[in-house]
Amino acid sequence: MNPRDAVTKTLARLKLSRPGVNSHDLITNVAATLGLRRDDLVRIVRVMVATVVTVVGIVMITSVPGWGATHALLGIHQAPEAKTSSAPMTVDQARKILTRTFTAAYLGETNSGAAAKANLRKAYTRDGLRAVSGRVRLASVQPAALASPLLAPHPTLLAVSRGFGFPRFIIAQTSASEGSLPILHLLVSPDAATPYRIYMSVEMVPPATVSPFDQLSSGSPLVSNDTGPLVANGTGLAVAPAELMKRYAAQMVFPAKSTSKPPFGADPFASQVRAGAAAVADAVSSQATFTQTHRVLPNSVYAVRQASGDALVFGVIERKDNFTVKADQNVNTAANKAFVLLTGSKVITKAADITTLEFVVFAVPRSTGKATLVAAREQIVAGSGS
Amino acid sequence: MPASTRRALGAVLAALGVVFVVVGAWTVVRLGPSGEAQFAATSRAPGVIVVPADVLNAVDTPVRVTAARRDGGALVLAVGASADARAILTHSAVSTVSAVHYPSGGLDLQAWGAGALTNISGADVWRLAARGAGSATLLVDQARAPETLVVTSGDSSALKDVTVTLTWADHAWFFEALAMATLGAVLAAFAFNDLWQGRVGDVPAKVTGRRSSEARV
Repeated sequence: MNPRDAVTKTLARLKLSRPGVNSHDLITNVAATLGLRRDDLVRIVRVMVATVVTVVGIVMITSVPGWGATHALLGIHQAPEAKTSSAPMTVDQARKILTRTFTAAYLGETNSGAAAKANLRKAYTRDGLRAVSGRVRLASVQPAALASPLLAPHPTLLAVSRGFGFPRFIIAQTSASEGSLPILHLLVSPDAATPYRIYMSVEMVPPATVSPFDQLSSGSPLVSNDTGPLVANGTGLAVAPAELMKRYAAQMVFPAKSTSKPPFGADPFASQVRAGAAAVADAVSSQATFTQTHRVLPNSVYAVRQASGDALVFGVIERKDNFTVKADQNVNTAANKAFVLLTGSKVITKAADITTLEFVVFAVPRSTGKATLVAAREQIVAGSGS
Repeated sequence: MPASTRRALGAVLAALGVVFVVVGAWTVVRLGPSGEAQFAATSRAPGVIVVPADVLNAVDTPVRVTAARRDGGALVLAVGASADARAILTHSAVSTVSAVHYPSGGLDLQAWGAGALTNISGADVWRLAARGAGSATLLVDQARAPETLVVTSGDSSALKDVTVTLTWADHAWFFEALAMATLGAVLAAFAFNDLWQGRVGDVPAKVTGRRSSEARV
């Protein structure tokens, strides 16, 4: 059976035609049945088809998402992907954060009472808060020059973190007054809900300088290390940040131990600490035994990659000065006003210890060479004695 | 070109022209000379309202977001990176704008989560923010897309009966729609004219056929 026969038989079954009638006759018959002329019927069918096609076209073009005319007309598209190679904030945002934080820090350090403490908590975090609390507590006995590193009105924004991971950081620099040492500030935010706060403010060691970071719009990546945030791959530095901090803390121990091939150059801060320990030990040698330990605080090391490939490494070391008073002896501590203020004791007969935080910043070369101390600061935070 | 093919092509072009005229004219009327498209919805579920990047950054023009609450209480609108907004609102009751309906001007709101609300005002992840009593408006540019916008009370108290309105405005849209309608009108006019001319051209042949039929009688 050919197709023509099949059509004819089907029409016959539907009683629209009989065998032997072609399509031309069929249209004529249908027109006759409807009481129309054949040409009129053809025109009506054409108009109906055109109308249906037009309506369907309009509906589809206006309603189908993605390729509809309105989407094309209005430029509707998918939201772009997040860029992992950009800073998570604008420069304006970073500057506002600096202004807010430094203002709170200033108010906290120059006032007293509950409001001042609230401002300090708003401005500082973790070891930074410990240090500033110690500084405020000892303000009456510490030199005025060291009272606050935050008296600069216009901090310079040096770097912000890259990408949307946490922790995030901001590095800024201030100069308290003409001729004074610049101060490096590290502000950190551990998660999305927690605002940036000052983790450390450290005076730079002359003649150190800070190499440029990547552009603020793209941010600077953190370098991975064992005792700080693991955010980016940190290969390619002359010394791993964690190892550097560990070796630096170890070489300052008293009684001194020899260190072989230190990955850092000599610096005035370590020399000063060692000389101070030797002087104290000598001063109390007949009444007490003096020891000093240095320990890198957990999760305290932040290493930020610079544009040259070098890294700026921030770390916090906790120093413990221990005095063990010899039998039948006592030590007069009246001259150490900080110790008296912290413990209330002017004489110790058994033992005493003083806790000091040492904030240090190193410049670490990317391949070979030694790390250089860029900034350092110490702050007594606690003491006890009996 | 055969007459039947030419006629079919003319019909298709005419239909296309009509579609352009209808869609273009209708868009011109909907947008108006300011080229403004507005969408709104009222959230009844307690919680914060979130406008995700899929909606906020779907068009390359700034979007004006307005929120209004019936009780006249405080409102905070904040926009920041989507990942940060998600992290902050993980444990909060949220109504998310899941779809935009054009031309009806409606927004679909999808409620999820049941936790206490997070006070977002302490976080530093918000690029832009606006506060207001009873209502607040924030104009969000597309410079740092993708971003998410959050509407909250400014503290941990839940929002309820808040109407959110999203407005996109671009003068170019109006003129594009006008151009579309004009193009469609021109296309349809030419196509219909061609069809008409073809029909008129067929008439003498039919008349001739009738005459020959009469001659046989």
